[in-house]
Amino acid sequence: MMRQTGFVDIDVGPAVDVFGGAGGEANARTFAVFGYAFIAHKLG
Amino acid sequence: MTDELMVDAELLRAEVRQKYKEVAVDPHGDFHFHTGRPLAARLGYDDPVVGALPDVAVESFAGIANPFSLAPLVPGERVVDIGSGAGFDSFIAAGLVGETGAVVGIDMTSEMLDKSRSTAADLGLSHVEFREGLAESLPVPDGWADVVITNGVLNLCADKQAAFDEVMRVLRPGGRLQMADIANGNEVPEEAVRDIDLWTA
Repeated sequence: MMRQTGFVDIDVGPAVDVFGGAGGEANARTFAVFGYAFIAHKLG
Repeated sequence: MTDELMVDAELLRAEVRQKYKEVAVDPHGDFHFHTGRPLAARLGYDDPVVGALPDVAVESFAGIANPFSLAPLVPGERVVDIGSGAGFDSFIAAGLVGETGAVVGIDMTSEMLDKSRSTAADLGLSHVEFREGLAESLPVPDGWADVVITNGVLNLCADKQAAFDEVMRVLRPGGRLQMADIANGNEVPEEAVRDIDLWTA
């Protein structure tokens, strides 16, 4: 979707186990949900 | 606007507002996600930076990852923080861009806005302001921002394309989006995606 919007030079950081030990952990495990940092640029 | 949304956008907003009202007024309550300083440490935020902030600026933090981890903000930059909540990422951004920069936090939950505005005043931060608004219609002029940050917010928008279009609109040419959010490795069934209760549970 970011590419469709026109963003370029997109990068993604490592997965973060953001829900580990929290109440939402079971759902997160079921759907392999992790947190990520993204960076994307608008053309200059 | 996307032709067909998977859920009713206004109903979803009402659910999200209620959830994050609870996080604002009772940040140590029982949520399905971590909050506050333990979460910031888990996500790899810089300990001295977080440690310098008062509890009120950190306790309602409910982000997903660290939007500052892939590139630094630099002094003088103008930043928009979509879904700024109680202001945690906005206050970190304010420290990075300094008084020659500016930070505009945007949130739709009045209790979060009350909290972030009060904390900004207590900290004497004149280059940070918080505005009421939606990710899909940001109250920011075209091309104003050098950087847009957002943390755990766009996954809660029914119309993600509209939100990305708004990010593109407010960024200057050459500007950047530094986003933290969830992604799932296993497919979520359509009936689950259409169940609003699961979006905030």
